[in-house]
Amino acid sequence: MNILAKFGAALSLAFAVAVMAPQAQAQVNPTAESVSEEALFQALGTEGVVSGRVSIPDQSAGNLIKPVNKDWAALHGNTVVTLSVIAVVGMLALLTLFYVVRGRIRVDSGLSGRTILRFNSIERFAHWTLASTFIILALSGLNLIIGKSVILPLLGEGAFGTLSAWGKIAHNYLAWPFMVSLALIFLLWVIENIPNKLDVEWIKVGGGLFKKGVHPPAKKFNAGQKVIFWSVILGGAALSYTGFMLLFPGIAGSFTDWQFYQLIHALVAAGLSAIIIAHIYIGSVGMEGAFDAMGSGEVDENWAKEHHALWVEEVKGGKSGSAKGAATPAE
Amino acid sequence: MARMKFLCDADRCIECNACVTACKNEHEVPWGINRRRVVTINDGLPGERSVSMACMHCTDAPCASVCPVDCFYTTDDAVVLHNKDTCIGCGYCSYACPFGAPQYPQTANFGTRGKMDKCTYCSGGPEPDMSQAEYVKYGANRLAEGKLPLCAEMCSTKALLAGDGDIIAEIYRERVVTRGYGSGAWGWRDAYGETVTV
Amino acid sequence: MLVKRRTREAASGGRLSQFAASVAAKPLDRRSFLRASGLTVGGLAAVATLGAGMTRRVEAAGFTDMSQPIELKKNICTHCSVGCSVVAEVQNGVWVGQEPAFNSPINRGTHCAKGASVRELVHGDRRLKYPMKKVGGEWQRISWDQALNEIAEKMTEIRANSGADSVYWLGSAKFSNEGSYLFRKLAAFWGTNNVDHQARICHSTTVAGVANTWGYGAMTNSYNDIRNAKTIIFMGSNAAEAHPVSLQHILEGKETQRANVVVLDPRFTRTAAHATEYVRIRPGTDIAVVHGMLWHIFENGWEDKEYIAQRVWGMDQVREVVKNYTPEVVEEISGVDGDTLRRVAEKFAKERPSTFIWCMGGTQHTVGTANVRAYNLLLLATGNVGGEGNGANIFRGHCNVQGATDFGLDVANLPCYYGLSAGAWNHWARVWDVPYEYFVNRFDAVPAKGGRDARTPEENMNVPGITSTRWFDAVTIDNEEIDQQDNIKAMMVFGHGGNTVPRMQDAQRGMNDLELLVVADPHPTTFAALHSRTDNTYLLPICTQFETSGSRTASNRSVQWGEKVVEPIFESDTDYAVMYGLAQRLGFADEMFKNYEMVQGKFGMEPTPESVLREINRGGWSTGYTGQSPERLKAHMANQEHFDLVTLRAKPDAPEEIKGDYYGLPWPCWGTPELRHPGTHILYNPSLHPMEGGGAFRPRFGLERDGETLLAEGSWPVGSEIEDGYPQFTYALLQQLGWDSDLTPEELANIARIGGNDPEAMGNVSWSLDTSGGIQRVALMHGCVPFGNGKARAVAWNLPDPIPVHREPIYSGRPDLVAQYPTNDDRRQHRMPNIGKVVQQDVTERNVFGDFPLILTSGRLVEYEGGGEETRSNPWLAELKQDMFVEINPADAQSRGVVDGGWVWVTGPEGGSKARVKALVTERVAPGVAFMPFHFAGWFQGEDQRGNYPEGTDPIVLGESVNVITTYGYDPVTGMHEGKVTLCQIAAA
Repeated sequence: MNILAKFGAALSLAFAVAVMAPQAQAQVNPTAESVSEEALFQALGTEGVVSGRVSIPDQSAGNLIKPVNKDWAALHGNTVVTLSVIAVVGMLALLTLFYVVRGRIRVDSGLSGRTILRFNSIERFAHWTLASTFIILALSGLNLIIGKSVILPLLGEGAFGTLSAWGKIAHNYLAWPFMVSLALIFLLWVIENIPNKLDVEWIKVGGGLFKKGVHPPAKKFNAGQKVIFWSVILGGAALSYTGFMLLFPGIAGSFTDWQFYQLIHALVAAGLSAIIIAHIYIGSVGMEGAFDAMGSGEVDENWAKEHHALWVEEVKGGKSGSAKGAATPAE
Repeated sequence: MARMKFLCDADRCIECNACVTACKNEHEVPWGINRRRVVTINDGLPGERSVSMACMHCTDAPCASVCPVDCFYTTDDAVVLHNKDTCIGCGYCSYACPFGAPQYPQTANFGTRGKMDKCTYCSGGPEPDMSQAEYVKYGANRLAEGKLPLCAEMCSTKALLAGDGDIIAEIYRERVVTRGYGSGAWGWRDAYGETVTV
Repeated sequence: MLVKRRTREAASGGRLSQFAASVAAKPLDRRSFLRASGLTVGGLAAVATLGAGMTRRVEAAGFTDMSQPIELKKNICTHCSVGCSVVAEVQNGVWVGQEPAFNSPINRGTHCAKGASVRELVHGDRRLKYPMKKVGGEWQRISWDQALNEIAEKMTEIRANSGADSVYWLGSAKFSNEGSYLFRKLAAFWGTNNVDHQARICHSTTVAGVANTWGYGAMTNSYNDIRNAKTIIFMGSNAAEAHPVSLQHILEGKETQRANVVVLDPRFTRTAAHATEYVRIRPGTDIAVVHGMLWHIFENGWEDKEYIAQRVWGMDQVREVVKNYTPEVVEEISGVDGDTLRRVAEKFAKERPSTFIWCMGGTQHTVGTANVRAYNLLLLATGNVGGEGNGANIFRGHCNVQGATDFGLDVANLPCYYGLSAGAWNHWARVWDVPYEYFVNRFDAVPAKGGRDARTPEENMNVPGITSTRWFDAVTIDNEEIDQQDNIKAMMVFGHGGNTVPRMQDAQRGMNDLELLVVADPHPTTFAALHSRTDNTYLLPICTQFETSGSRTASNRSVQWGEKVVEPIFESDTDYAVMYGLAQRLGFADEMFKNYEMVQGKFGMEPTPESVLREINRGGWSTGYTGQSPERLKAHMANQEHFDLVTLRAKPDAPEEIKGDYYGLPWPCWGTPELRHPGTHILYNPSLHPMEGGGAFRPRFGLERDGETLLAEGSWPVGSEIEDGYPQFTYALLQQLGWDSDLTPEELANIARIGGNDPEAMGNVSWSLDTSGGIQRVALMHGCVPFGNGKARAVAWNLPDPIPVHREPIYSGRPDLVAQYPTNDDRRQHRMPNIGKVVQQDVTERNVFGDFPLILTSGRLVEYEGGGEETRSNPWLAELKQDMFVEINPADAQSRGVVDGGWVWVTGPEGGSKARVKALVTERVAPGVAFMPFHFAGWFQGEDQRGNYPEGTDPIVLGESVNVITTYGYDPVTGMHEGKVTLCQIAAA
């Protein structure tokens, strides 16, 4: 029986008394009836919280003993740290393996020397804002997970404290441009990232990533990029929401909520970090010609034909030679 | 060395809040920060009991295990302290603490948490003992003066006991034997992994 | 000792890291903390004012620099009457730390929330900082000189137009003894008996009831002695909140004795939570409940027959009255069933020693005196007065309410309960070394009016003044109705809240109508904020008792000397200095202060409290305030560790100057200091020699009644050479006994001087008038109590109800019982009409209960004290209770749609009164009962009056006062208000 139920029982008793005789009096031995911690916990069960009334405005202070917090501590201290490390280190290991096996994915037909505009300046600005803030957020976040075992021994307490304090400032402030650019990216690219039949084909052949010369057709974004897009949008949204709640604990409510938000925040961050590491890989060392799309915005026509054949057709067919309208929806 | 603990004898506690204001007084703890508080269970009902609660200075403190910057440390008296220069105010320790001990001033960015503040068992922080720097950040250091925490020393009914765990457990045990009842050493199981058996 | 794991590495990380640390969330240093506090207050209404106020705090005021010398000062907590010692650490004139006063046998180092935060009082951001006056509705800073000059001028003008009685002297239970005594003396020199203080509203009915029963109006035993009790009854006392440190003794006693702790109360209080039996009663039915217990006691023959035969007069008459209070009748009135009362009565009568503790729950009633008398009857019937572990343990309220009462801050007494007779005036005129005629010249003649006879000044000196509960009525009432020359025109309010008596709407009118209002207090009280006055209103900053020295009397009558901790802060000054300054300007300072050692104070001359106490020692014979010299009191404070925890007696290994003394020389401490009487730990205790603190009931009501003796029969204190009862000692009695030869020639000469060398007059010189102390000394030498050895009176024939009977409150929750148990008849008392019965009839006829179906009672919170301005200004306390509230039972809340924590309007039956407060839905109160604490003010019927306080002096927490809602009703003996039972209605706001 929890406290509420007890209180309810007392209430109903009071009503009964009140109805029976308005002057009915309580004669009790308060010493004999006093609660004991042991009995209370037995009644409350393992998930129980011993709580009562406090007169200060902070009502969470009314929670006297909340043993489940230690469960969160164990979860956070062990499981979350382990998962985070596995996600990041695992992905790095996977990519290393991939690189060793597959090597850099080249443009099969060689570079044409002609370029077409793939991402305009607004798109690139949004992407890089998102990317740079995410990296700092991820690193400063990662620092909270493994910093004390990795960086602290290297830097010593003072420098590590300073670094972490800066990290927290960066994390709190950069969260805002991150969220703005996340929203921007969503608006810019959501139409082109709606999954369609082509994606099934693309996935069937593994995007051609694993075999030289295979190039399933794709529009502006292929299925792999769509996965990244939606991971970033959904993961980013989850991070934004939970982060917002952690930043303003007053809004979130209770300790249980904070614990929940913190857990989600940490797990999503770990997962998204792993995905983004893969994204960075494929966008840089992993694939020839890919970086230009976000670097200059102009990609080699042959690269485009191999990876986004249908998009090239659209662009060329629509407004020959010009990619000014790249941002306009293709269909 | 002693293993310092708190024990609140709820059968003595009358929710007079002396512990709370003694703490405020000794450390000039500002408005909104409650290093110690009194919680009344079954308020207004037969069986009502009040318990004064602050940081219990746990064995294997969960706050320390989750602190991302490892700012906690345990003194030779088994007092759990923290370093505010390292603390970044992330709030994790408050999620981990079973007793609601960590407190935060709302001074940081966006009015969110500042550096964590909590009961120091009247034993300051990492700065040199009884220095002004220590006082400004953590409050007075009574332990270094050979005194016990003021909350317990000033407790109106001597309900709140502070001192070596074995000694205060023995005091409590004697009381329970003398009077024939006792509602338990509140929080001991979760803080120290043991309770006082009579 | 403590080993640090590391030192400050962070600071050694170069400038970048230092900068980083400074921009990162700042370390929790006090200054930034305080600066930010405005952001953190959250639920507090006064965000802006708090933030601004708190930032002005002295930087790191609590830091103790261990390399500098620290002075330790010992004073007494200025809050409740328990008398906890406070040890202050002072460095460079700043109070930097509070340490536990482990040596005090009273508190043994401990405090409650208030005591643990007294250091804040002398930082006092919110203190009144300099004298102020209102000019055209605005507060203006003025000098002390200007303030006192203007006040004295205005007073003189009022005196010329309306007479001396038009100035009301409202004093304080927070004065030191010396301050209280001077204040009473000041009123006497001004020429009025309109002088009162908080005892009126806390225990005036106790003093009247108890003194009328067995002699003195005080707690018979001590907090410490309750450790000996086997059965403890609390009735109308919530000591856990009102006297928290007393619970240390009570709970330890409960544990070691396995004592019964019974709480009889309408409210399940925090004290009740630690009881072994809680009995809920309907508010205002104490007499029925106590008589219900007596019914079982007499029915079963549990009374102490021997004790009654030896030491009590009139118990048989009580027995007859009690027969009417059968279990059925009592249950009908109070709601308590017979079995419960039988059980409680049996324990109280049989598991002895038993003590009975009461407070304002018993006293603040129209039947307050009768309640007290009923409690006394229960104690007397069971033989529970005058021994270890038993007694009437009356927990007084303020830190020096006992002392202030003793020194006659009372409309009916000169210092030490001498009364107002010509003999009393002559006694004090002798002590003060001023001719009796001087006072006759200072008093008003009262013209005949309203059908009453005229009075000469000399007659007017004998007439009790207006009580503090009715001062505002005395301002606004028709002149014909007031039994003095004119209405009250000026209030001199020293250390007294304005929200502590009912009918605040009327109090507000009274304040508005005054010609002069002077508030002398560390804080501007409700007296400074409630009204809409624009001029002739002055605030004088008085320092706290921590900023001066003097003695105070705790509830157990122990007198403790407090030494000055720091100099008065800001421009505040001591009561002593202000009274002297005022007396100077009113023209009688030379006469009034001539016996004192005068020293240079902060702004002028002031008397030393030591020299004032020495004068008290020369005059306080009737109460035994003669042995407590400043030297003895200081020796006690310096040697506290030598006193026993339970008996309070200095142990055999104590230093010579205190050996054998009881702690604080609890009065009566007979004779001169040189006699070395040890004080009296337990009053009326015949099992000790009177020179060891023994005693007997005081025969002060004559020698016989109805042909029966009023002197004790077969009972006398140990060592008495008269082995039976005897009357008070006079020179004639000494002669009769042949003991007059034991007087020294000096003593005899003094008696002769008092008697004017007339043999008959000499014979009448009594133990209380002999200023040599000779009569007391000789009586004690022969093992006799100076005041005699009499019986307690079970029947007090001079009171409206000689034997208490149940009477319904004026605003009764059981209108059907009013006809059978009506309130007392209307009467004139204290120069005013008391029309309680008319009101009660009207209330019943109009069926007020129908519209206001909840009984409203009131009480105390541990964090606040009295009117609460001082404690609500202390952030350490204010944070803990930020909202005024009303407790309401879940059943009543549900039927009204009231939710816990929600705002409600509480409305009262007089003048459309209303208060906006928060609801606290709790089983603590029974269905049909609501409770509100009485410490709040600053909101008035929904209006926030924060702007009425001078800038920067408004208390942090403001709220509605319960006394806006409380209603008419006054005890016929003392004028005590009815603060515990009225009616109200509650609706969600």
